[in-house]
Amino acid sequence: MSTGPQPSSDDKRELLRHIVATLAYRCGKAVNNPPPHFKDFRVAAGARTPGEILAHIGDLLDWALSIASGKQVWHDSTPLPWKDETARFFAALKVFDSYLASDEPLAAPPESLFQGPLADALTHVGQITILRRVAGGPIRGENYFKAEIEAGRVGADQSSPRVEFD
Amino acid sequence: MTTEAKRALLGHFLAALAYRTQKALRDAPASFGSFRVIDGVRTPAELVRHMTSVLGYARTHFIGGRYWPEALSTFDEEIVRFHEMLGTLAQHLRDGDILLDGMTEERLLQGPFSDAMTHAGQLALLRRLAGAPVPPENFIVAEITPDRLGRDQANPVSPDKVWPEAPKDWKV
Repeated sequence: MSTGPQPSSDDKRELLRHIVATLAYRCGKAVNNPPPHFKDFRVAAGARTPGEILAHIGDLLDWALSIASGKQVWHDSTPLPWKDETARFFAALKVFDSYLASDEPLAAPPESLFQGPLADALTHVGQITILRRVAGGPIRGENYFKAEIEAGRVGADQSSPRVEFD
Repeated sequence: MTTEAKRALLGHFLAALAYRTQKALRDAPASFGSFRVIDGVRTPAELVRHMTSVLGYARTHFIGGRYWPEALSTFDEEIVRFHEMLGTLAQHLRDGDILLDGMTEERLLQGPFSDAMTHAGQLALLRRLAGAPVPPENFIVAEITPDRLGRDQANPVSPDKVWPEAPKDWKV
């Protein structure tokens, strides 16, 4: 075991911001130009619709901010129209990212913030992606490691894919 | 940012991936591996192989070469190979091995690591579509540790008490 200085939370906090930017890029691609009626596409009884999943992702990001700021609270929201829910998603990302970028203390370890709300959100992006395929409007595959993703770039204005494939 | 800090969080990422993948696979019906919801969508066995493939691709940035896993004969073997790959990749991170050809920890994260995590979510959705959904839990308190990357993952610490979409025979 290392006896040197342990990695600081501030360092990990920076990598959390990269995860947030990754979420912006990947979810931005998954929600862009959906097939008609995609928001309410229910693939099976008991399964969330894409609109419900996107609203849940927004709730997860609000929850992440509440955990980070030490005032943990969960709220189930009612899905908005697709365009509005997408805007809510990017707005929630922006607020959370701004908190991570600030000097405000983190009330939870970065690992907890990742394994809870952020990892959850990534799994749900995968679900929106597979639902797009089932609904007949798949997104193109991409070599995401070549994508232009950078901490702080968390709005709707994401870069164009560099390497896509079918 | 120090490389050590980045790698510590990446190691935790892999542990969270192990946990969530096992949650999506634990107690699945025997036929789940070959469940195909529609043509053009991967089966769970194909998804797990693809997850191994993207992690193996990540590993090539430590050791060079290419990685293309052949399909194995059983779903169980695919799952075993997936967890072995998680362990191998985590070891490169722990050992501080150098990343080749300009690869960075950030790009590993945004590419193959995040790819695999999105696919873990797809496995969970396929469980629902196969008629055997996975019960929800509060993941923030789950027992996830960087040295626990195998198939033997912890049970949920805080399973949800309320599950509106639960099957009729569900109990907490």
